[in-house]
Amino acid sequence: MEKKVNRFFGASTEIQAKWLNRMASEGWKLIRTGKMSYEFESCDPGKVQYAVEFIADKSQKNAEDYKAFLEGCGYKVWYKNANLSYSVGKVRWRPWAEAGGQITTSWTTYNKELLIVEKENDGKPFELHTTATDRIGFLKKWRNVWLTYTTMFFLMGILFLFQTPIASIVFGGLGLLSLIPVVLYQEQIRKIKKMDDLQE
Amino acid sequence: MRDNAKSGALTEVTFFVLLALYEPRHGYAIMQFIEDKTNGRLVLGAGSLYGAIDSLCKKGWIELYDDSDVRKKEYRITDLGKQIAEQELARLTEVTQIAEEIIGG
Repeated sequence: MEKKVNRFFGASTEIQAKWLNRMASEGWKLIRTGKMSYEFESCDPGKVQYAVEFIADKSQKNAEDYKAFLEGCGYKVWYKNANLSYSVGKVRWRPWAEAGGQITTSWTTYNKELLIVEKENDGKPFELHTTATDRIGFLKKWRNVWLTYTTMFFLMGILFLFQTPIASIVFGGLGLLSLIPVVLYQEQIRKIKKMDDLQE
Repeated sequence: MRDNAKSGALTEVTFFVLLALYEPRHGYAIMQFIEDKTNGRLVLGAGSLYGAIDSLCKKGWIELYDDSDVRKKEYRITDLGKQIAEQELARLTEVTQIAEEIIGG
């Protein structure tokens, strides 16, 4: 039996993984993904486990290499979009990405921001990242995404300062708001680093 | 990979990846090697392993051995890597000796 469910989780990897794992525990395994939909077929409840990873900071070459590596580990892997844009000639700048991944287009890494990874359930928790260095890397990735927004909002705020003070206030406010996740991620990074001095 | 600059201690993951590659292995085989040898105490996530392989290649401690199957690229330890692993063994032996003297073996 198959079924199609319409859902969109944006870039939130954890909520998406949790939902996919709940579907799996109810006996549904993924067969296909669409822009805003997921197609499942029935399976034994809890037969598979899912993890979702944000890979938009990788270049196309490294993203493909990483996907092939995970497939070599015996996992099933799907690309998933984190945006809802249908335009074909899309080009976007990602200042927080690695070299080679900063300019993304619809022909390369745009709409392939996430990887959904499926593993046969072996009773152990399914985690792709298990070392402290890696967890810090993961947090830094998200901190930098938000920091980019903060910088852009503040720059816009300065730009409008003399002509349209209202716009300037709005951008300044948005800048401050986007600073909240930056601080929260930084705090988590600090905590892990402190632990890291005592224990690996 | 966080290597202590003062003592030269390797992380456990680094050391085990080096040990696994005394024979050519691909990613999944490295994961299995580590899990088997430690009886499941040390489980390495595939994403973390991918990062570890990448940084060890950059350091020149391991190298690509066979990439005919893009999904199962095989790696092996280099001479430099063996030297690093031997140093780590010597360091661990010293630590174990001191600990046994104090705690009582």
